[in-house]
Order: sequence, then structure tokens, then C-alpha cells
Amino acid sequence: MKMVYPRCCLLLLLCLPLIVGGEVRHHRSPETGLSSWKVEDRGFSLELVQLVPNYVKAVFASRGLPPEVVAEVGGYCVFGTIVRNLSDAPLSNLVADWRYITADGVAHAPKTKSAWVAEWRERGVAFRWLMLPEDQTYEAGDWGQGFTTVKLPPGTVFELAYAWSQHGETYRGSIEGLRCGPAEPADG
Amino acid sequence: MQVSWLRRLALLVGSMLVLSPAPAQMEVPELSHTLTRLAQPVAAPDFVIEDMDGEPHSLQDYRGKVVLINFWATWCPPCRREMPSLESLYQKFRDQPFAVLAVNQWESPDHVFSYMGDLSVFPTFPILFDRKSEVSEAFGVKGLPTSVVIDKQGRVVLRAIGGRDFAHPEIERTIRELVE
Repeated sequence: MKMVYPRCCLLLLLCLPLIVGGEVRHHRSPETGLSSWKVEDRGFSLELVQLVPNYVKAVFASRGLPPEVVAEVGGYCVFGTIVRNLSDAPLSNLVADWRYITADGVAHAPKTKSAWVAEWRERGVAFRWLMLPEDQTYEAGDWGQGFTTVKLPPGTVFELAYAWSQHGETYRGSIEGLRCGPAEPADG
Repeated sequence: MQVSWLRRLALLVGSMLVLSPAPAQMEVPELSHTLTRLAQPVAAPDFVIEDMDGEPHSLQDYRGKVVLINFWATWCPPCRREMPSLESLYQKFRDQPFAVLAVNQWESPDHVFSYMGDLSVFPTFPILFDRKSEVSEAFGVKGLPTSVVIDKQGRVVLRAIGGRDFAHPEIERTIRELVE
């Protein structure tokens, strides 16, 4: 018996591998009350850890950066972010294509490392570390960690639509229920 | 006062960062043990930067040796974790044409010296200071740690992004192939 599918269904089936994400693991630290989320998606591993603004400010201040740089970063929703290539071929993390979708349906773009570094350079600061590069290609076994940032208030809940590429294809996945770190630590 | 409060917190966090990557719940990724061979080796850009004692080191001085350059900083947790294995690799090939250069980013010799005192294994290879991150920029380094291996002809032939266990037999074997 021959089954006939509309062309759009066939197209959807072909595209499905490009938009389905992996299983998300959520962990809440009993000590700090802060959350982390981890997903392993076809060889792309992504982990995000909530950070509180004072922690972020202290990290930048301890690098000797000017107070205005420290204050600016502290006004963002910042996550400690680890990317790993668990596959056997190079992949690129596309941070600039990530979107933070808030409850009102608005998709917020991240502020990339390049944007931060350009801003710091204008202030005469040559520092270019701590932020996760948005255009890094990771070979098999490579990994990186750094901060990812978006201009959202503490405690904002959002869905992260992440993206990476491999073999010329762009892959997308999402993590629902992510939350920016609180303004103050729970024990604080 | 806001500033002094922030400075105290910065000092506290600065020392905490040496011990942990971020708040406690972040999983610590395993150190990898692969070095990626470049499909097309490229000439390593030369540089002259100073060590802890203010002595200049030029990459040219190491021509004829295999050189592992490790770009790092004290606040970078995987950099700290891989440092003992880097020393182990250095010791293993000490009597052969092999050098390790740990190129610190952005920090001062005083700061790094105090950090070294906290390490379980004190590095005996040169620690160099790339205070304006110009050398790392020339090597196309985007994140820390990143390591490159330069062959005896002065070409970058291997690269690793993220922390490595340099004492792993696979890495030792790769280095041995280049050194011998």
C-alpha cells in the first residue's frame, strides 16, 4: 500500500534533526541555591551555571579592570558556560545566533565577546578574556569555558535557543525554564 | 563605601577563583588528552617577552627544539588543573630538544609568583608575561587555556583548546614523535 504525505510533512521530517535538542539536566546546588543546566546534543555539550551579579562584578574587579567596566558587566544576566565537543569532528559554537526568549515572546540576542572587547577597547582597556568566544571552532576533544551575557534583569525566566554548526549544517536546540541568577545569593 | 566593599569581595573571589571555576555546582569537565594536528602547519609568529626575572625570551632562541606554548592565567581553573601535567611532560623530555613556555595573559609577575606558591607542583619551565595579550592574539588564541606545539622547523603543528592532561600517554607519544 502506498502512503502519500504532503510535501510539507516530508520537509519537516528532513529538517527535524536540525531542530531537536538533547535531554536537559537541571541541578540546584543545596549549598548556594543556584541552578545549572546541561544538555548533550549530538556531540555538542553545553552547560550553563547561574551567577549572581556581585560574583560577576568581583571576578572582573579582581582582574584590575576599571570600575565602569565592572559595573557594566554586573548589569547583565551572566552565566558560567562550558562548551565541549564530544563528537569526532570539528564543531563551531554559534553564540551570536543564540536567542533568549522571554515569557512575552521577545527574543533577546546575547551580548557577544566581540561586542564586549570592542567596548573595552574604546575605553582603552586591552583585556579580552573571561567571556566565551562566539566564533570558536572546537576540534574533537576541545572544550572551552567562559561567561555568556544577555541584558535581562536578575531572576528573569527564559527559553534559551542555542545553535552550533558542524559539517556546514547549523543545528539548533533549546533549554526551557532557564533563569538568570538572583540579585543576591539565597543565603545572602 | 561601595568601592572598598567591592575590592574586598574581589580579593575574596580572586582567591576563590583559583580554587574553583565558579559557584560550587558547576561540574568540572575532565581534562582531554588529544592534540589536534593542523592540516596545514603555519609558521609560528616570533615574539620577545620577559620571564619572572625580567629576562627576555624570543621564540627564535628555541629554533631546533619542539616547543609547547601554553597560554594561561591564574584565574582560569583548567589552566591550574593542567599545570602539574605540563611540568610532568616537561620533566619527561627535559634532556631532549623540547621546551615548554607558559605564556601568562594580562597578569603581573608579582601576582603570578604568589599564585605559584599555592601549587602542589612548582613549574620549572619558563613563565612568560604577555601583559597586553599581543602574543596570544598573534597565535589566534580566543580562550584560555589554549596550547600550541611548534616543530623543530618553527611551524605550529598541533593545537589544543581547553584543559589537557599533558601526562597522558597519547600526548607523550605525540610529542615523542616530534622530538625524535
